[in-house]
Amino acid sequence: MKRVVVTGLGAVSACGIGADTLWRSAREGDSGVRPVLFEALQDVQRVGIAARLSDEDRATVLETAGHRMRDPVASYAVTAAREAVAQAGLSEKDFGDRCGVCIGSGFGGGKTLDDNYMAFGRDHKARLDPMSVPKIMNNAAASWVSMEFGATGPLYCAATACSSATQSIGLALHLLRAGVVDRMLAGGAEACLEAGVFRVWELLRVMTAQVNRPFSRDRNGMTLGEGAAVLVLETLESAQERGAEILCELGGYATNSDAGDLLRPDPARATACMKAALSDAGLDAGQIGYVNAHGTGTVANDVTEVSALRAVFGDDLGNTLVSSTKPIHGHALGAAGALEAVVAIGALRNQIAPPTINFNEVDPKINLDPVANTAREINAEAVMSNSLAFGGINASLIFAKHA
Amino acid sequence: MADGNENLAKSIMELVAREGMVDAAEMSPDARLEDLDIQSADFVMILMAIEEEYGAYISVDNELSDVETVQDLLDLVVGKIEAQRAAESG
Repeated sequence: MKRVVVTGLGAVSACGIGADTLWRSAREGDSGVRPVLFEALQDVQRVGIAARLSDEDRATVLETAGHRMRDPVASYAVTAAREAVAQAGLSEKDFGDRCGVCIGSGFGGGKTLDDNYMAFGRDHKARLDPMSVPKIMNNAAASWVSMEFGATGPLYCAATACSSATQSIGLALHLLRAGVVDRMLAGGAEACLEAGVFRVWELLRVMTAQVNRPFSRDRNGMTLGEGAAVLVLETLESAQERGAEILCELGGYATNSDAGDLLRPDPARATACMKAALSDAGLDAGQIGYVNAHGTGTVANDVTEVSALRAVFGDDLGNTLVSSTKPIHGHALGAAGALEAVVAIGALRNQIAPPTINFNEVDPKINLDPVANTAREINAEAVMSNSLAFGGINASLIFAKHA
Repeated sequence: MADGNENLAKSIMELVAREGMVDAAEMSPDARLEDLDIQSADFVMILMAIEEEYGAYISVDNELSDVETVQDLLDLVVGKIEAQRAAESG
């Protein structure tokens, strides 16, 4: 089985443009959450914050990667992919049939969808955007990335809610190990901060109207985010042949499903998933120095995930530090696993666990100190990143130092 | 004020019965929501109706995790509505 390495990273998020910007924000606890008000939700909007791109960053992305046939979600993905490809030093000959693309999205073209609903339902217009179908479809971001570089290998798009990006990276790992391709551009993209989408999240009542505080006793729900992140993944041989700088190895991956409740997570299945990822990576729990938790800041997630973490890493979690960086970059749904993979890789390469900011008080229900508020040094051979999605999907990635 | 709250509590109890699809006769302050078969999806409907009628936003989270009986839910909702009214008048 082929070993797989990471040679490039790219990200666009509320923290700014660039994978390094995202990592530095995570390490410093510098949040991209800002006030967000929708004109179409006047008088009804109850939650007034989200981790949205700054107006300046969004304008830059749309100017440099915009296209009349692209929803912003695809522009985010193309921007992240350009950065990752540049860092990896890939050139024209490195694409073609031996390079695939695997970029997930939960909502696809959210702005196009929302604009159309408003035009059709509110304004009774029959003349909608004629390019709506190719702009809304979930795989558009992946397809635009493939066209950008001439990556003509397999193209996939996992549309598995909050696990879309983690599963996309995992699927890319499987294709690379099997020798189907030499390299993959893998990650996730989401641009769902539009009035209609935001309103239905409000109605599901899993968002906090105050501050996102994962694992804190006074937590009260999540904060939505958006963005995209893309990883260049290659077989070790491919990277060595090109003389590429290897950032780390993608050592393991597992995914499973609860086959239980659509929304309520099952700790036993999250436990099984993390254990399977460890086994896939050939590592013991004690070798994982840091876990970037799914950590949404809802009571259902916090209790489930911590119980699963204790079942995997021991009651005292051993030397494994756990934090959630969602209060910094928001819960970016289909992009979440990719943004958090960038953060987890930053933690591994810098040997620093980024903090869970906004933390007030240990919750006696879970009794966890999640690297509260300030980053800490770690001694980690490997790190893990979890995504636990609606639909009962669990997915865990393990990144390891390249030796 | 006490009378006002009593009326409010009565209205909310009716709302919970309606949105939770529970026979109003079975509703009592001591009744456990679990025994009334009010589940997580029902909470979403109940809390949406509360937002529509009273303008108070309650997330299905920490605050609800300790709610076991109809009275617990009434206390939470009445408190939120009062806070909302105070915020609006303040």
